[in-house]
Amino acid sequence: MAEYELDCLGEACPVPLIKAEKELDKMNVGDVLIVAIDHSCAMKNVPEWARKQGHNVELDEVDDGEWEVVIEKMK
Amino acid sequence: MNIRKNAFYKAWFKDAWPYVTGAILLSIFQIVTLATTGNPWGVSGVLAYWGAWIFELFGGSVDKWYYFASDGAQNTLNNGILQHGGSIRNIGIIIGALFSSLAACQFKIKKIKAIRQVVAAILGGLLMGYGARIGFGCNIGALYSGIASLSVSGWVYAVFLFLGAYVGSKLLVKFFM
Repeated sequence: MAEYELDCLGEACPVPLIKAEKELDKMNVGDVLIVAIDHSCAMKNVPEWARKQGHNVELDEVDDGEWEVVIEKMK
Repeated sequence: MNIRKNAFYKAWFKDAWPYVTGAILLSIFQIVTLATTGNPWGVSGVLAYWGAWIFELFGGSVDKWYYFASDGAQNTLNNGILQHGGSIRNIGIIIGALFSSLAACQFKIKKIKAIRQVVAAILGGLLMGYGARIGFGCNIGALYSGIASLSVSGWVYAVFLFLGAYVGSKLLVKFFM
């Protein structure tokens, strides 16, 4: 149950999504990935994509214009 | 009462509006624009005028430039920015975007992560601006308003837009991943 962090602050879409995709590929089932983002479109497309893949997703607004997408790899 | 928990605040200002709502509003406003001004909605053509006005501020002159040669263009330039509906609309877009991000508490000045972001932004901006002018419009004036006016050129634009986006996304993955 490892925890990984991905700093995507300052990265425009769709870079956070592609980076999260690649990072999740390397992880084991049950591991958790925390993606830090500050582009509002990533707050939409990263959780949308992860949910579609069947993972557990939580979105935290950590500051003004800053979010953390917490993804638990399910398969 | 905590405004952040208010249902109306959340629906109107905090959460992003659904795409369909945006599409309907854009459609209504572009019809209003066409009906009241006689010209279809455009965005990037206005920026060419802004460039000309800035150039004139520094003592330049665009009187002899082919792009601004028409009487209409000369009139627009002489009347100034406050008499130019397109400019007012673009300023409204900028102020509106600022207001909506402030109202949602999502305004943030983002840090620049790498110099390549700056290079890409400047190169991309130049290419888009140049392309929009020699293409007689951007994705609003040529694509959106073109298709809305039942013009074939809008659909031709769409095909090449997708080709460009395909190449662009390949470049993005190559340089930013």
